[in-house]
Amino acid sequence: MTEHASKSSSDARSAADDSGLSSSYNQGLTPLHPPQKSLIRVNMVLRALVLLILASVAELLLYMHHDVQAGTILLPAAVLAVLMVSVLPHRIYRRWGYDMGDAQLRVLRGYLWRTDTIVPFNRIQHIDVAQGPVQRLFDLSTLIVHTAGTHNSIVTLPGLATADAEAMRETIKDHIRQDMI
Amino acid sequence: MSEPTETPPVQDSAPFRHLHPLSIILKSLSMIGRNIVAIAVLHFSLFDQNIAYTMLAAAALVVLVAGVTALIWSRFTYQVTDREIRIKSGLLNRNNRSIPFDRIQDVSLEQKLPHRLLRLATVALETGSGGGEDGQLEALTRSDAEELRDTIRDYKAGRNAVSPDSIEQVATEEAPALFAMDNRRIFIAGLFNFSFVLLAILGALAQNLDFLLPDDFFDPRNWFDALPDQQIIDGLSFWVRVAGVLGAIFSLVIIGFVSGIIRTFIREYGFRLDRVDSGQPGFRRRRGLFTLTDMVMPIHRVQAAIIQTGPVRQRYGWYHLKFKSLAGDASGETDHSAAPCATRAEINAVLGQCAIRSPGETVPFHQVSSALWWRRALLAVLLLGAIAMTSGTLFHSGFYAVLLLAGPVSLFLFLSWQQHQYVLSDGQLFVRSGWWRRRLTLLPLSKIQTVDVSQTAWDHPLDLATIIIGIAGGSAVAPLTIRAIGLDRASDLRRQLLSRTASHPAIG
Repeated sequence: MTEHASKSSSDARSAADDSGLSSSYNQGLTPLHPPQKSLIRVNMVLRALVLLILASVAELLLYMHHDVQAGTILLPAAVLAVLMVSVLPHRIYRRWGYDMGDAQLRVLRGYLWRTDTIVPFNRIQHIDVAQGPVQRLFDLSTLIVHTAGTHNSIVTLPGLATADAEAMRETIKDHIRQDMI
Repeated sequence: MSEPTETPPVQDSAPFRHLHPLSIILKSLSMIGRNIVAIAVLHFSLFDQNIAYTMLAAAALVVLVAGVTALIWSRFTYQVTDREIRIKSGLLNRNNRSIPFDRIQDVSLEQKLPHRLLRLATVALETGSGGGEDGQLEALTRSDAEELRDTIRDYKAGRNAVSPDSIEQVATEEAPALFAMDNRRIFIAGLFNFSFVLLAILGALAQNLDFLLPDDFFDPRNWFDALPDQQIIDGLSFWVRVAGVLGAIFSLVIIGFVSGIIRTFIREYGFRLDRVDSGQPGFRRRRGLFTLTDMVMPIHRVQAAIIQTGPVRQRYGWYHLKFKSLAGDASGETDHSAAPCATRAEINAVLGQCAIRSPGETVPFHQVSSALWWRRALLAVLLLGAIAMTSGTLFHSGFYAVLLLAGPVSLFLFLSWQQHQYVLSDGQLFVRSGWWRRRLTLLPLSKIQTVDVSQTAWDHPLDLATIIIGIAGGSAVAPLTIRAIGLDRASDLRRQLLSRTASHPAIG
C-alpha cells in the first residue's frame, strides 16, 4: 500500500510526528492541516448540542407522562455528547489522509466504513476550492475535483490550508489538457 | 421565417429559425389528448352530464392549449452556426442556451407516428451532462434534421464544407448491416422479455376509466354478494379446482409472454445497426415500430461494453449487447442497446468495430471470496429466523414456514457468488456478475475515471474490500463493482487498473 506514497509523504511523516500521530492510521499519507481537528470539533459540538436538546425534550415528555427515573435518557446522551466532542474529532482526523502523486490524487477516509479513492489527474474535468464561514475562521479550504465518471464523479478533500489547496489546484490544472472531451 | 431556408447554415450570422409550424398542432393534440380524461371526468361530475357545458369546456381547453402552444412556438428559435447551436426559448424566463458541437456526444433523430405521417423528426442532442436531453428540437422537417446531423458530423470530422454525401446516402450504398434483426429474431427477443406490464396497463386503465364502470364496482360487498358463497366452488371436485388454479397461472404466464413480445416488437421493430464511416466513424442505430429512432454515436465515445443474458437465454445462446457512452439512451435506458438479441459470434463482429474485444475462451476468470454469499446468507437466515419466531409465536404457528425461504435465498446467493468473477487481461477488465441477470462488463483500462477501494464495518474482520470503478456515463446507481476480494489483492488490482490512464487521453 505504501508504494503510492510519493515524495510528499516524507513531509507528511514529519508533520505526523509533530502532531503526535502515528502514521499507521492513515497508511502514512499526508495528514490534513491540523486546524481541521478543531473544525471537526466545532461541528461535533453543534451535533452534540442538537443531541442534548432532543434528549432533553424526550426526557421531559417521558417524565411528564410516565413514571421514569430522572436522567434515564439525558445521562447516556450527555456521556455520548462528551465522547463526541472529546474523543471523536481526533479519531476522525487521524484516519484522513491524502497523497498528491505525480499523476494522481489519492484520498483516504473513514475507519469502519473506509473509502480509498484514486483520481488520475488527467481524468479531472474541473476543480473547485471551496471555503465555508467556519472554515474561514481556521483558514481551511476544501478541494473538490470533478471527473466525468458518474460514480463518485465529485471527490472532495476537506481540511487543507487554503494556500495548500490553491497550490494543489495549480498543480492539477497543469495536467488538464483542453481536448479531453 | 417559419419556412426553413435552403442554404446550409455555415456562417456565424446564420438566421434564427423556428420549428416547423405543424409542431403547434402536434403538440396541442398531445396536450389535449392528455386532458381529455379530465374533461370526461368533469362531464360526469361537475357538469352533471350536461353536454353543452362539456362542449364549452372542451372548446375553451382547445383554444387555451393551442394559444399557449403557439405562443411557446413563436418564442422558440434556434440558430445553427458553424461551431455551435444556440437555442432561445421560454415565455417569461428567457433561456439562451448554446451547445458547442465539440461537446455533443451523439445525435439522435426520433419520429413518433404522427411525425412520420407529416415527415417531421425530433432532433435530440446529447452532451452527456447527466440529467436528460440537453438540446431537443422538436419537429423539424426530416431533411432539415438530417442536414443538421450532417453539419455536426462534418464539423467533427474537421471539414467546414458540407460534404455531398449525407449519412442517409452513404447508408443506402453500403448494403450489409453490422447487425440487424428480422421478425423471427425480434420474436425470440420478446420471449425473453417476459413482463407483466400489460397486466399493469390493464390495471391502470381500469383505475383511470373507473367512471365508466358501475358505481359500486370497487365496493367489495358487491363482490361478496355476487359470489354465491362457497357453494358453487364446494360443489366442484378437487381436480376441477386444481385445474382452475393451473388455468389462472397459465393465463398469467401467457399474458406475460404476449406483453413481452408486443413490447419488444414496438421498440425493436426493424432493428438495424450500421457503421458509418463518412466523417467520424460511428455506429448508427435505427429501430421502432411506431416511434422511429435514428441515433448516431461516434465509436471512440464508447466507454465500455456490457453483454447481458439470463440463465435460460444463455442456454439457447442469446445475448444482449449494450454500449456505455457518455450520453444515455433517449428511451430512458442508461446504456445504448447495440444488439438486443444476438449470438456470441454476431456480438464479436460488432465489438470488432470498436477497440473492445471479447474475453477469449481460455482466459481464467478469478473467483471472489466466498464470504460474498455466506455472509449474506447468514444474515438472511438470521432475519428470517427472527421473523418466523416472532410471527410464529404471536400469530399462527404456520408462520414458522417462513424459515423454508432460507433455502432458496441461500441457493440464489450462492449461485450469484459463483457468477461474480473478474479478470484483467489484454488491457481490459472483464467483470461478470449476477446469476439471474447475468452481465459481463468489458472495460478498456484507458476509459477508467476513478477507482475506489472501500471497506465496510463487516469487511474488517475478513480483511475484504470492494473495488468501485468510475466510468464516464452509465448508471450512478449501479457502478461497476468487484465485491469481496482481499484487501491486498484489491490494492494490487487498483494499481494495475490505473496503469493505463496516464498514457491515454481521457474520454475519446
